[in-house]
Amino acid sequence: MRSEYERRGGWSWITQVISGLLLIVLVGLHMIAQHFIVEGGLRTYQDVLAYVSDPVIFTLEILFLVVVTYHALLGVRSVLFDLGLSEAQERRVTQILVVIGLLTIGYGVWLSLYLIGQA
Amino acid sequence: MSSTEEYLEESKTYPGHKVRRPGSQVSRWFAPWKRGLGTWGFVLNRVAGLGLVLYLFLHLAVLSLLTRGQEGWDAFITLAKSPLFLLLDVVLLAGILGHGLNGLRVALIGTGLLVRWHRPLFIAVAVIAVLGLVAGALLFFSA
Repeated sequence: MRSEYERRGGWSWITQVISGLLLIVLVGLHMIAQHFIVEGGLRTYQDVLAYVSDPVIFTLEILFLVVVTYHALLGVRSVLFDLGLSEAQERRVTQILVVIGLLTIGYGVWLSLYLIGQA
Repeated sequence: MSSTEEYLEESKTYPGHKVRRPGSQVSRWFAPWKRGLGTWGFVLNRVAGLGLVLYLFLHLAVLSLLTRGQEGWDAFITLAKSPLFLLLDVVLLAGILGHGLNGLRVALIGTGLLVRWHRPLFIAVAVIAVLGLVAGALLFFSA
């Protein structure tokens, strides 16, 4: 049962699959780097600053943020569309979710850059 | 035009799309016993997915504590290592494993790769998820 994805030409389903596959890797890396290899399971403030200042880590975390936000909000869109919205309502939902997504990514990038500035 | 009529009108624009009344798809989530394993997977993916969306935004909100400097963050770290939080971490891991592995299963079947193997695939995914959850939980509480 693919519900909304299937009847909308499939672009959202395909990109959801691709972002989902990417997330399996990115969530795995995030969990291992942020929690499993860290003594006590969580980084202290100074450790967080040092961690996020590493260009490779910064790039991976921002990529993770973008992909997870896209995947999450596309999933919410699919659930909302299954409620049986009109075309106008669907367009409005998409617009609102795009704004939420951009704000979320903007916040994450700002927070990371702010922390790098504190290091 | 009522919302139902609008919906029915709209559905005509999608050739081959079966006309449904609004809400019927949602009510199906709560009656999975009428269907097979695939529907259980569908329900699991939606429920776990919505839970993970909620967690994502909570997580990002909590990270704002980092702007309060060392005191604000390290106080939270102490709290986050309490048994209750560790238990919530196990719930989170269950959500990630369930949604991630089940999503992988949906991708493999939806793209037509392993349609014939959908039942063993479901069982394999469930076994890996449970093993991963037990290993993760042991790691959380032993750290």
